[in-house]
Amino acid sequence: MTRRGRYWALFFCLVWAAFTLFPIYWVLITSFKTPPAVNGGPTYLPFIDFAPTLDAWADLFSGRRGQFFNTFYSSTLVTLFASVAATAIGAMAAYALVRFPFRVKLGAGLLFFAIAFGGYQTLTQGFGFGRFDAALRAFPSALVAAILVNRLRLPGPVLGNADILFWFVSQRMFPPIVTAFALFLIYTEIGRAGFKLVDTFWGLSLAYIAFSLPIVIWLMRDFFAALPVEVEEAAMVDAVPQWRIFLDIVAPMAAPGLAATFMITLAFVWNEFLFALFLTNARWQTLPILVAGQNSQRGDEWWAVSAAALVAIIPMMLLAAVLGRMMRSGLALGAIK
Amino acid sequence: MKKLLTGAAFGALMAAGAAQACSPDFSGVTLSAASQTGPYIASALTAAAEGWKAKTCGTVNVVEFPWSELYPKIVTTLVAGDAAFDVITFAPAWSPDFTPYLTEMPADLRQGALWEDIAPVYRDRLMVWDGKVLSQTIDGDVHTYSYRTDLFENPAEQAAFKAKYGYDLGAPQTWSQYLDIAEFFQRPDQGLWGTAEAFRRGGQQFWFFFSHAAAYASHPDHPGSFFFDPDTMDAQVNNPGWVRGLEDYIRASKLAPPNALQFSFGETIAAHAGGQVAQSIGWGDIGVVVADPKQSKVAGTLGSAILPGSTEVWNYKTGAWDTFDEPVFSPFMAFGGWQAAVPQSSLNQQAAWDFVTFLSSPEVSGKAAITGGSGVNPYRASHFENAQLWSAIFSEPEAKGYLASQRDSIEAKNVVLDMRLPGYFSYTEVLEIELSKALAGDVTPQQALDTVAAEWNKLTDEFGRDAQKAAYRAAMGLPN
Amino acid sequence: MSEIDATDTIRGRDPMKYVFIGPAFAVVLLIAIFPLIYSLGISLLSYRLAPPTPVRFVGLDNYAALLQQERFWQVARTTALIGFIAVALQYVIGFALALALKAKVPGEHLFRVGFLIPMLVAPVAVALIARMMFNPTMGPLNQFLSLFGLVNLPLLTQTNYALGAIIAVEVWQWTPFVVLMMLAGLQTLPDDVYEAAALENASAWRQFWDITFPMLAPISAAVVFIRLIESFKIMDTVFVMTGGGPGISTETLTLFAYQEGFKKFNLGYTSALSFLFLIVVLVIGSVYLAVLKPYLDKQK
Repeated sequence: MTRRGRYWALFFCLVWAAFTLFPIYWVLITSFKTPPAVNGGPTYLPFIDFAPTLDAWADLFSGRRGQFFNTFYSSTLVTLFASVAATAIGAMAAYALVRFPFRVKLGAGLLFFAIAFGGYQTLTQGFGFGRFDAALRAFPSALVAAILVNRLRLPGPVLGNADILFWFVSQRMFPPIVTAFALFLIYTEIGRAGFKLVDTFWGLSLAYIAFSLPIVIWLMRDFFAALPVEVEEAAMVDAVPQWRIFLDIVAPMAAPGLAATFMITLAFVWNEFLFALFLTNARWQTLPILVAGQNSQRGDEWWAVSAAALVAIIPMMLLAAVLGRMMRSGLALGAIK
Repeated sequence: MKKLLTGAAFGALMAAGAAQACSPDFSGVTLSAASQTGPYIASALTAAAEGWKAKTCGTVNVVEFPWSELYPKIVTTLVAGDAAFDVITFAPAWSPDFTPYLTEMPADLRQGALWEDIAPVYRDRLMVWDGKVLSQTIDGDVHTYSYRTDLFENPAEQAAFKAKYGYDLGAPQTWSQYLDIAEFFQRPDQGLWGTAEAFRRGGQQFWFFFSHAAAYASHPDHPGSFFFDPDTMDAQVNNPGWVRGLEDYIRASKLAPPNALQFSFGETIAAHAGGQVAQSIGWGDIGVVVADPKQSKVAGTLGSAILPGSTEVWNYKTGAWDTFDEPVFSPFMAFGGWQAAVPQSSLNQQAAWDFVTFLSSPEVSGKAAITGGSGVNPYRASHFENAQLWSAIFSEPEAKGYLASQRDSIEAKNVVLDMRLPGYFSYTEVLEIELSKALAGDVTPQQALDTVAAEWNKLTDEFGRDAQKAAYRAAMGLPN
Repeated sequence: MSEIDATDTIRGRDPMKYVFIGPAFAVVLLIAIFPLIYSLGISLLSYRLAPPTPVRFVGLDNYAALLQQERFWQVARTTALIGFIAVALQYVIGFALALALKAKVPGEHLFRVGFLIPMLVAPVAVALIARMMFNPTMGPLNQFLSLFGLVNLPLLTQTNYALGAIIAVEVWQWTPFVVLMMLAGLQTLPDDVYEAAALENASAWRQFWDITFPMLAPISAAVVFIRLIESFKIMDTVFVMTGGGPGISTETLTLFAYQEGFKKFNLGYTSALSFLFLIVVLVIGSVYLAVLKPYLDKQK
């Protein structure tokens, strides 16, 4: 790149950095402000414009404004677990979709849907089954039927990898409102059948994994597709088992993509609000709910909001720094082809 | 001998003490109480939980949810029959949607001096639904008027005001006076504006609108006819009284700080406490914050009064305005005050009701009422009597004025109850949309309210006119 | 480049493929299938929780009522408007930033971490922070704009300004996503092509258009697609900043669904709305992919 080009690039980066980071700076100082310092008008410099105080932070940690440590702990555990799991199995699935052909007959797919939906409706409306009981009977039967039917020669189009990929992604197109409510209902019913899912680690993590997978698969697919297939074919000739090819050869080559996708999944789960609200109560409530709760009925207490928001941001920032490192070394690996 | 006696006495005392602990005995019981995120209400619950634990050996776990998500969270839990909560705290406006799932207050708690101590408007009207006491008030809520005594008692201001408007500057008796005062103090170049209220969609705006309209549309001779015609369930919101209220409300928005249209109640408090406005209306929190030197730039200048009234009230039966010699005051019980109740799905109902009673007992609630962040406003007669309590946060004249305004409001003859109907959010949603349009000037007040009335009637028919009428009459305390 | 055809190769018969795709498929199917079936079922009913009214089968009435409601169409238009403009801006700015970072501007590592931050902030927090910054009396933005003579703009109270404010916040928050992805893509590009181009004295601009952009087309397409889908679901920002107002002029589809579903608990209606929403996004998604397919296939 030319010298002049470099200067322009730097200028652009600086402008954007200012735009990006000023709100963060604002949040940082506001968390140290007293109510009059906020209400009286914008103040910019601690010690010069206003006298900083630790009140908002003390409030936050004291539990006066929601159970801070509990929610932080819950958020960390669930996020880490769900993100690692989603990235791992999502990458596997993406790899499969890139390297192996899948064929699903449309008829089989429609049959699955018909039996699942029809069966569920009949059982709940016609025979008065509970939601979970009806689901337990209808969905597995639909799945078994569809798999069996798929082996037969059916007329109609055959769905390939691209369509399966699209199916995965389409799961994220559905607005989360009714999904959250429906999940809550089925979790409650399963809970009544003996396996408590509401307000549990597994219940929440499963939901997060399921809804992060589409993004992981969609994004990783292109990273895997960009890798040269010759290396793998060479390994296959040497009779290296498939899973070793994946773990030892493919994954390291796609490291930048993996790191980026992991980061994104992490951000999504850490910040997700709706599912956390409905699927948790006291035990596993997460940070976004705490942050939203600072927006109270009696008004916006900006200092409290800022402190809570910062707590939610700081772990993510640390992680970004760490993963930024990883991406750099990925660059080196990627060059070794 | 002496030692033996002392020992015996000591032993007896210990035994007596042990018998005193855990009464009634709920050791091993853990209650879950759902509330909005603290500190308001949640901190009152937590403080009461500590006291309750000392008394009964039972624990209370306070679960907090964001204010705007509390309603959906409670509904979904109740509907799914999940036993997650033993105590729920909620807004009275939501109670019609909860009542099918709540337990009735045990009979033994509904009598005696403690029961009588609760102000009648709460005890006999707000806590009752369909003849049953289904919840306990744990907080009192009414809109009052606040003003800056340093401005109002300034002789130069008084003289200038009298010269311009012809009457003495003081707490306004009517809404026209309120607007005059706002106009008088509208001095943007000095950083002072006339008034502050909530105007934002989703920012509690419609309660402020109701406060304006109540004076014109709630006729003292026709109780319960404010929102709907109690005989036909037709919406009243587009009658001339309401339109006048909306016109006043819109005018107030122009005599307020520049972004007033974005104000929720929080910004209203902030504007008054920040010294930007001469007066404001709202809940009791304004007074508590304004008087607190740690949170306010104008501490010590709090003046309180009941909401302005009107000398003209619309009579819906005759279709004309009635004029009165003295202004009729119709303080509005905006929001109504947080309620606590015990769902039917709870597995610890007896313990739960015991905790609720403890929470609302005079000592515990009295302490909460004077604690800054508790969110509890007075609702028991005993709260008002103990002015000593209040001097901890207010100066004496501030305290007297504040308590008087709160008390006069809930004991006023023509006090107006907030709307409580099944499907409450459906009604308020269309109201909020039309209000924001009227405030932006996109439609005239009459057009906005006509749309609201038409939509409300449609909703009433959709939900079942007779059912809604019965519910409305019950909510207003009218016989069925 | 490496997409295989559906011929019956050795790989096609390898049962390992099920092991690879199995877990993901199972989890998604299990968790996602019930809500879908349940919602579809309810969308055919008149199902209100508040007030509790008896459940009635109404067939396609919910859908018909929605399609005839002016509010639905306006909300759809607003959502699409915000989505397309915001994503376009995010893509252009994000790509440019990724290029700048790849070109090793001084301080690149710091920039990289700094640029990522907005994406890591919870949407709820972003919305609250935005409201704080846009506040005319208590926030810095009004003061800043006054320096340019633009005093007291009705940033959140007038429709067009409010839409601009919402788009600005969306761009602020999600450009990092584009930066991250495009940077990862840029890092996987082989250097030899560039070396060859440098030998031929190709200008930086030509290098970009002829090499970089086409080679990154698949990733660009994927990133824009995801951003589009996600931006159709914005709710927190709008809810906190404007509440959907004035009137309903800044209301988005998810906010509309939220009001209907969680405030009015009109569940049948909300489910129908969700499916209509799904169809709209599916259509847009399919059209997008179909339009880009020939161009992307050329790259392989």
